[in-house]
Amino acid sequence: MLPACIGLIPFGLVCGVGAAAAGASIWGALGMSAIIFSGAAQIIAAQLLAAGAPVAVIILTCVVMGLRFLMYSAAIAPYLRPLSPRLQQALAFLLTDQAFAAAIRRYDAGAHPREGGLHFLGAGFALWLCWQITNVVGYFTGNLVPAIWSMEFAVPLCFIALIAPHFKNAPQIAAGVLAAVAVVALDGLPMRLNLIAAGIAGIVGGTAIELARDRWTRR
Amino acid sequence: MDATLKLWLVIVVVGALNYFSRLSFIAFFARRSVPPLLARALRYVPAAMMTALIVPMLLPGPPTVMPALPTPKMLAALVAFVVAWYTHSTLKTLVAGMIALWLLQALAARIG
Repeated sequence: MLPACIGLIPFGLVCGVGAAAAGASIWGALGMSAIIFSGAAQIIAAQLLAAGAPVAVIILTCVVMGLRFLMYSAAIAPYLRPLSPRLQQALAFLLTDQAFAAAIRRYDAGAHPREGGLHFLGAGFALWLCWQITNVVGYFTGNLVPAIWSMEFAVPLCFIALIAPHFKNAPQIAAGVLAAVAVVALDGLPMRLNLIAAGIAGIVGGTAIELARDRWTRR
Repeated sequence: MDATLKLWLVIVVVGALNYFSRLSFIAFFARRSVPPLLARALRYVPAAMMTALIVPMLLPGPPTVMPALPTPKMLAALVAFVVAWYTHSTLKTLVAGMIALWLLQALAARIG
């Protein structure tokens, strides 16, 4: 779990810096990290708040980004079925990109549901705690770093680290390329609606290409 | 709307909806499997949404003033992508990307 925690440090710092840049108080920043508990959603929320986007647009964009949790939830659910509802509810709260990857790896290696669940609980809580600490540190130290270091570049780098392994087949690459083209082409849309429009274009495009490919190979 | 109120509204609603997504198939739809089309579409959420988020951060300004040459950030992002692809490591991606950016910026300053 330690490597996952270390990997989270820069991302957490960047989220704290983002919250400060968006003008949030320390309590607002902690609210984001403790309750939303999703780096991608926190970055989007901070950016859109700073850009003055309406609440509905911010919520919609964050929630579409959070749809990947549906996928994680479905993938991990069979392993958690024997556990108590209480434990399931706690584990669901701790379900992040990193915790999901670690838990699935453990279950795939043959972990017992209860033993795996308790490990998930411990690791998930450690990640949550690590996330709060790094967010707070980022919040207070962000503006101490000289601008010449271009530390804002750590944000796209964290996302690149998360998604690069996804680009392993044509539909996934197409989804990314479509989203990239769309977000630039639709830059004129108000309230940064280009973000969500491009995301949806990529999701629909990737799915359509996968369906078309399946139909083609079945023939 | 008051900025503080706006922020907390986002925190509570996004927090609740994200928790709903996380809990969905563990609790609410525990007896159901994911509809096949939804399962397919969900696999493209990270690649599409995160790419849409990344690309504007690599551009020097609004896309109407596209640079003629790739900027240091674009090239450094490419380096980071290759490192992330091979290592699957956030830390190595960050280190490689930042060092690439600093070198390219120094180089651009010398040439430019």
